[in-house]
Amino acid sequence: MADISTPAALSPRGAGALPAVGAKRRRSARLSQRINMAVGLVSIPLFLMVWQLIAQARIVNPILFPAPTEVARAAMEWVTSGLFVEDAVASLKRVATGYFVGSVVGVGCGLLTGRSAFFSGLLGPLFQVLRPIPPIAFVSIVILWFGLSEGGKVFLIVWGVFFTVWLSTHLGVQKVDQGLVRAAQMLGTPRRRLVGEVVLLSALPFIVVGLRTAVGISFYTLVAAELAGAFAGIFYRIQLAQQNMQTGLVFAGLAALGLISFIADRCFAMMAQRLVWWR
Amino acid sequence: MIRKPVPVPLREGGEVEIDVRDVTIAFERDGGELVPAVDRVSFQVRRGEFICLLGPSGCGKSTLLNAVAGFETPYEGEVVVGTKVVTGPGPDRGVVFQQPRLFPWKSVRANVAHGPRMAGKSRADAGAIADELIEMVGLSRSAKALPHTLSGGMQQRVAIARALANRPNILLMDEPFGALDAQTRTVMQEGLLRLWAQLDTTILFVTHDIDEAVLLADRVLVMSAGPGRIVRDLAVDLPRPRTIETTLGARFQALRRECLDLIRQQSQKAFEGTHDA
Ligand SMILES: Nc1ncnc2c1ncn2[C@@H]1O[C@H](COP(=O)(O)OP(=O)(O)OP(=O)(O)O)[C@@H](O)[C@H]1O
Ligand SMILES: [Mg+2]
Repeated sequence: MADISTPAALSPRGAGALPAVGAKRRRSARLSQRINMAVGLVSIPLFLMVWQLIAQARIVNPILFPAPTEVARAAMEWVTSGLFVEDAVASLKRVATGYFVGSVVGVGCGLLTGRSAFFSGLLGPLFQVLRPIPPIAFVSIVILWFGLSEGGKVFLIVWGVFFTVWLSTHLGVQKVDQGLVRAAQMLGTPRRRLVGEVVLLSALPFIVVGLRTAVGISFYTLVAAELAGAFAGIFYRIQLAQQNMQTGLVFAGLAALGLISFIADRCFAMMAQRLVWWR
Repeated sequence: MIRKPVPVPLREGGEVEIDVRDVTIAFERDGGELVPAVDRVSFQVRRGEFICLLGPSGCGKSTLLNAVAGFETPYEGEVVVGTKVVTGPGPDRGVVFQQPRLFPWKSVRANVAHGPRMAGKSRADAGAIADELIEMVGLSRSAKALPHTLSGGMQQRVAIARALANRPNILLMDEPFGALDAQTRTVMQEGLLRLWAQLDTTILFVTHDIDEAVLLADRVLVMSAGPGRIVRDLAVDLPRPRTIETTLGARFQALRRECLDLIRQQSQKAFEGTHDA
């Protein structure tokens, strides 16, 4: 009650001045919105500037904390040498292959366990036990299984992606609106077409959330995969640079990893809107 | 009240279309004990008839309708549609639910065309059938819209068009206008009567609204409070075509009164029943 009566009490013309107060409030709201946007724009440049100043003032060891300019120089060198493209292609290939296989198998298993109590009983507990094991814990056994081949790296990413996609598909399928299933049945939809006509689309919003989470996971798992011995790749480059104390390149690699997975997530978010077109 | 036995006006054809024979449907309580929701119900519906199932909430109307639709299997007895015992849902029985239950990812046109598509019709043929029905329910201008952009009444009209798209002999409707406001409901009731006159479909219509039942039906089957039984098979001898004006007539009021008394008795029994227990 107090904040409703305050503007009227403060304004000299009483209740008649309320619209003016409202307009002022709206204007100030718009102003603060603009300020927030401007702050958002300077956030990263400001951070880089502070970092640059600290590095130049030699408050910290410049070899361990290279200035942004030094990182930029290392990044340029990485790009012009052609190694960056090589590394990026190697990493993206692993991520894309692992993501694709993991997603397809995940959606397939999710449909299976979500639709059938038998398969849910058979596979559900197994998946739930395996799911929490971080993929990085498998690096050593993967090296024994696959050696240094690409198969092992893709396997790790598949492993990371699979469980998230499986779980979200499983839950989505279980939450399918039975009313829609009945509607489809009374219209003569045969059993074998129910999945394609109703179940999959009904579960799609859930599946899309799982697929998006899995984009991030596939990049986390990429690090584990390239830890398992590689000859090209962004995290491989970071490790190599670390061994040679090229800290500028280490930071450049970290920035590249962040940037690529950020872009991948954004692209996915845009695609997701089209995928669930009726929302 | 004097009840004159009114002969059931047989429509042309007059063969039995739906035959519900001694149907009992039971559900499992939490303890695992089977409790009947519908108790040894029998009735017949002739081809082309409009039948209303009227009863208090929870008396088993939906359960009974679902048994005819094939969503619910009787614990005892059987439902025969045409010459076949019902074992599951099928395109010969269109269903309109209380909620529209349209496919949210399909346009109005694609929703209505779904049934004919599943029946193996070409995209063009199914589309033509859909357009005709959408026209009949007066939604041609929204044919391309997605369901969530329509009002509740419009969505329910799409649901009716969709249920009719397979040209079913039987239309099953479970309180289809229950969620609509009074004005829209009246418009929908009159529209349904016109549609039914055009199409020669047998309709089994569930409602707990006495006025709705008397306005629409050839016969009102009044059900007792749970477990559901049919306590009266009431012929409605009001002339057709009927409109909302019909509800003002003396005969309508007399029939309405009769239903009201029956329902009141049932509610009373249910109330006393809960006290005894
Ligand atoms: N799937 C189910 N599991 C257990 N009990 C059920 C189930 N469906 C219905 N029932 C019970 O059966 C009885 C009849 O339910 P039904 O939905 O047929 O009533 P109704 O007459 O349609 O009521 P309303 O007018 O409120 O829709 C109720 O007591 C209900 O609790
Ligand atoms: Mg009901």
